[in-house]
Amino acid sequence: MIFKYNSYFDTMYLAIFLPVAIVVYACLPRKNARRVWLLFTSLFFFWCDGKGLLVYILLSTLFMHHGGLWLGRLHDRLSAALKDTPKEEKKALKETYKKKQRWVLAFFIALELGMLVVLKYSGFFVNNLNALMGLFSENTRLLVPHFLLPMGISFYTMQAMSYLFDVYHKKIEPDTNIGRLLLYMSFFPNVMEGPICRWSETAESLWNAERVSYQNLTLGLQRVLWGCIKKIVIADRLNPFVKNVFGGYDKAVDFELVHFDFNAFPGWVIALAAVAFTLQLYAEFSGAMDMALGVGQIFGVKTPENFQRPFFSLSISEFWKRWHISLGAWFRDYVFYPVSMSGPVKKLTGKARKKLGNRFGPLVGGSVALFAVWIFNGLWHGAGWSYIFFGMYHFVLILLGNIADVLMQRFSEKTGFKRDILPVRIFRICRTAVLVVIGELFFRAPTLTQGFAMFGRIFTAFAAKTEEIRWGVDRKDLAVLLFTVGVLFIVSLLQEKGRDVRTRIAGKPVVVRYLFWYAAILFVVIFGAYGAGYIPVDPMYAEF
Amino acid sequence: MDELMELLQELDPEVDFENEEALIDDRILDSLTILALIADIEETFDVTVPAVEIVPANFNSAKAMYAMIERLQEEG
Repeated sequence: MIFKYNSYFDTMYLAIFLPVAIVVYACLPRKNARRVWLLFTSLFFFWCDGKGLLVYILLSTLFMHHGGLWLGRLHDRLSAALKDTPKEEKKALKETYKKKQRWVLAFFIALELGMLVVLKYSGFFVNNLNALMGLFSENTRLLVPHFLLPMGISFYTMQAMSYLFDVYHKKIEPDTNIGRLLLYMSFFPNVMEGPICRWSETAESLWNAERVSYQNLTLGLQRVLWGCIKKIVIADRLNPFVKNVFGGYDKAVDFELVHFDFNAFPGWVIALAAVAFTLQLYAEFSGAMDMALGVGQIFGVKTPENFQRPFFSLSISEFWKRWHISLGAWFRDYVFYPVSMSGPVKKLTGKARKKLGNRFGPLVGGSVALFAVWIFNGLWHGAGWSYIFFGMYHFVLILLGNIADVLMQRFSEKTGFKRDILPVRIFRICRTAVLVVIGELFFRAPTLTQGFAMFGRIFTAFAAKTEEIRWGVDRKDLAVLLFTVGVLFIVSLLQEKGRDVRTRIAGKPVVVRYLFWYAAILFVVIFGAYGAGYIPVDPMYAEF
Repeated sequence: MDELMELLQELDPEVDFENEEALIDDRILDSLTILALIADIEETFDVTVPAVEIVPANFNSAKAMYAMIERLQEEG
């Protein structure tokens, strides 16, 4: 293998692949050549990860291309037929075509989703089926399939499905050019960890293959550097501690510090590790997004933001509008609203509103749709009961949050209690963060049972033999971590107050700017966590 | 338009629906309130709002909502 990337922060990617991709792109004078180059680099990136696995994304693109064209043809035929049809027969004609379109849509969605389900979930389903069958007969066992997962399949499948849904709903026109579709599916900065793009937002700017402008280049590189700070300085430095307490992901069993026995830790260390993991996940995932969006910006591509300072959220419901935004938006548009607008759920909402009123009524129908969203959200993250529990945990919290919100509003109206004053807001922000951290503990625990055991220890194990704990983080690490997290907090706070930190830095005099960048680069080089004793954290969302 | 304003005021009296232009983008209306609002719109204006119409562009302001209602009425 010529290149092998574990993440967008690999030296191989940062020092060779990315600079070559950008420099060659910038040197190509013709738009078409730049398009071909982007496509070539994207497919090459994919090929490096898994050679033959490239076939899956090609198939996925082929299906969406054919599906889109077929749906488009049915739209055109319907429009033509409607012109010559008497008014009273139009409704019946529309219904006939609607039925056909539904079948076509269902067929292609089944193909797209089928690949994901077979490759990602068949092992989980067969394991559970075997466990179930084991209750009745000890000798019956099905062979558990193990497939290699193509890079980014959970992300690009969502993109393909949203394209087909949008063509079906006539939100977008189907595209005849399969090259444009393939670039939308495989664009290398996004393919590993998202964000999940929409055709209407991204495809055009991708195919435009703009020239590299000075402003896009500098702003893009600035964001790449910020991503490096988050990932290499924060996430990687926290890795030994998190792995010591939680144990490694299955893939990382060769990591020498792994001694998975959380019973060795007192409760407060487990709680601290849950906080550390949440911080690590945020630094890794949002850092990867800075990398993806920064590189996208260099190529002049509009990619949707995936994070909006989630830890300033007042409620869990708000948190999910600010964390992994593109996934939440996908589920909202293609699961939540279609389910809540479906006939039976609509009827349920109507009845509930009559009995329970405007505030609580919609919760009944809405909760059916929310349940669907969170089952899928949990499963999207992985084939395992921990993930399903994670989804259900947030479903219950959002539901309770909605009920509590209505009650609190009534309480405020009656008593004059102000929910918007700073101390109350800070309390709500902290409460939301604690609930998120508890969820992440279960999310990170190797199994659901171990998750419960670890959670239990927080409240029961007080004995602290801290001298025996292998922290994996020394005083120097801690100082660097506290400083960098402090910087992250201040930057986030400024952004939260509406200050555009990026443009402000870019607007400083050239000397100040360059000094700032050299300092930032040196900071990553000196304080980045690599070398002996550190294993960079795997791109967490690439696993999903 | 007056009927729509009445519905909106009843739903949340604290919001300035006449001038607000980013009801969705600024998270003033959440998805559950939207569900209640759609049920009201369907009942009052005798239209069916399909899921595909629930996009920020149609719900960011009272004006946008009214334009959508008129369009849905025309399409019948």
